[in-house]
Amino acid sequence: MIGSAPVSDDGVLSSLRYLFADLIGEDDDTPPFLPEGLPEAVAPVASDAIHMLIDYQSTAYAQLYVDRLKRFVGRRGVDDAMLGEIARLMAMRMSYQDPIRIAQLKLAQADGTAGGAPLPPIGDVGRFRLDELIGALPAIVAEPVLDTLEWLGWLHKPVSISFRAASRLGIGRLKLEASLRRWRRYSVRYTQERVWVERWLHMIDRSLTKQPKAAPEIVQTATMIQGYGDPYRQGLADWHAIIDGLAKPTFDGVLALSDLAAAITEAGATAMPDPRQAALKRKIAEIRARVPAGANAAE
Amino acid sequence: MDTSHLAEHAGTAGTLFASIFVVATTTMRTMIPLRVFGILANIVLMVTAIPSHNYLVMLVQVVMLVVNSYRLHQMLQLVRDVKKSVNSDLSMEWLKPFMTERNCAAGEVLFYKDEKAEDMLYIVSGRFRLVESGIELPVGAIVGELGMLSPSNMRTQTLECIEAGLILSVSYSKVEELYVQNPAFGFYFLRLASARLFQNIDTLERRLAHQVAQSAEPKPA
Repeated sequence: MIGSAPVSDDGVLSSLRYLFADLIGEDDDTPPFLPEGLPEAVAPVASDAIHMLIDYQSTAYAQLYVDRLKRFVGRRGVDDAMLGEIARLMAMRMSYQDPIRIAQLKLAQADGTAGGAPLPPIGDVGRFRLDELIGALPAIVAEPVLDTLEWLGWLHKPVSISFRAASRLGIGRLKLEASLRRWRRYSVRYTQERVWVERWLHMIDRSLTKQPKAAPEIVQTATMIQGYGDPYRQGLADWHAIIDGLAKPTFDGVLALSDLAAAITEAGATAMPDPRQAALKRKIAEIRARVPAGANAAE
Repeated sequence: MDTSHLAEHAGTAGTLFASIFVVATTTMRTMIPLRVFGILANIVLMVTAIPSHNYLVMLVQVVMLVVNSYRLHQMLQLVRDVKKSVNSDLSMEWLKPFMTERNCAAGEVLFYKDEKAEDMLYIVSGRFRLVESGIELPVGAIVGELGMLSPSNMRTQTLECIEAGLILSVSYSKVEELYVQNPAFGFYFLRLASARLFQNIDTLERRLAHQVAQSAEPKPA
């Protein structure tokens, strides 16, 4: 079972810990409980996700996962399979791969502390974009640096970082990078990822209200966004193109797509590693054009 | 007559006197008495520094006096404004000095339904719509003032910007800070929040009564 007795909250030490919580991390070692009414079939996925997110960030972050999952527990139109997918994909997106995460995974690989759980394959060298790298730092530090890089036109420059754990120096460096997780919550990237997850959940929620048949497909769109660097950026851009071009207008009532799920699958199949998204944009325009003109509320 | 020893004695007595105020300042639990005692200590230390021509101390105390006076004025004004609001139109305009500006582009979502609420917003210009209910919020509307006091802290609707505009925002932690620092503010804030809640209940009750009356009316054959 997840959860244990809370830590005593009195004394000078706990006051000091509270005062410096932003710097040393929160005193929150009580793991959250699984949401009430969670189906048996989903419990193992959610439980693994909670432990993974505690390792990834903190128990407060795992609590955020539980709170988000609760929104769909017992919800009409959400069966066990769909809830399981929401639980799995949300955990995947909440543990996004920034340089801190990759350092954590490499250390777990090196220590053999993965606890039997399969780790995603991690190379010795990570290829990021400069804005992605700086975005992992606290916003107060990152924002002026990002502004300067933008002014210089270097924002999208590729940067390669070594994540080798072969030497003591390499392990020390990985530990230093992994320790930055305390400040992850204040990073530019964290804010962006939080907004993305909320938007994805919002789209699932709206789909359940407006077009329930499309909800499983909306859930699966999270798989479009994977990894880091260019593939991550491409997936994110494709996801926004599909949601802004097809899903949102349908939910807003300005596009009368009768089979949104099929439209998303069709558009998703044309997504290519092309920064201009030419094929995808063409396909979205084609799907939109197929909708009878009189059927669109805005027209 | 040599008056230097008199200045020395006055300085020692003044320092002793000022020390009493400094100690008293540190014992204050809330912000207004703390600022008042801080101001008194600044004045005494400034006067004490005059006979010894200690200009550095005088300068430091003048700066501290200005800061303490400004903060005290801000705090007193806040309490006065909240109190006034409770007794008049239940407006939240008094929060404006503590808010930060943010420009919103059309299509931008300010927050999503069920997301954890962390700040309250004041609409200055532009058009904003609650997505789930389709209600458009007018300029001057405050969003999320009750979320701070609700145990779940969840947004009940999604707020989308439909025409570029400006909003002011203040984090709940900032309001909590004001609440903890100033019991008078806290008291009137609670009264104001309760009054707004009762106002909402009253509106809902009237709307419900109206709907019931409408459904009870005989329909034409």
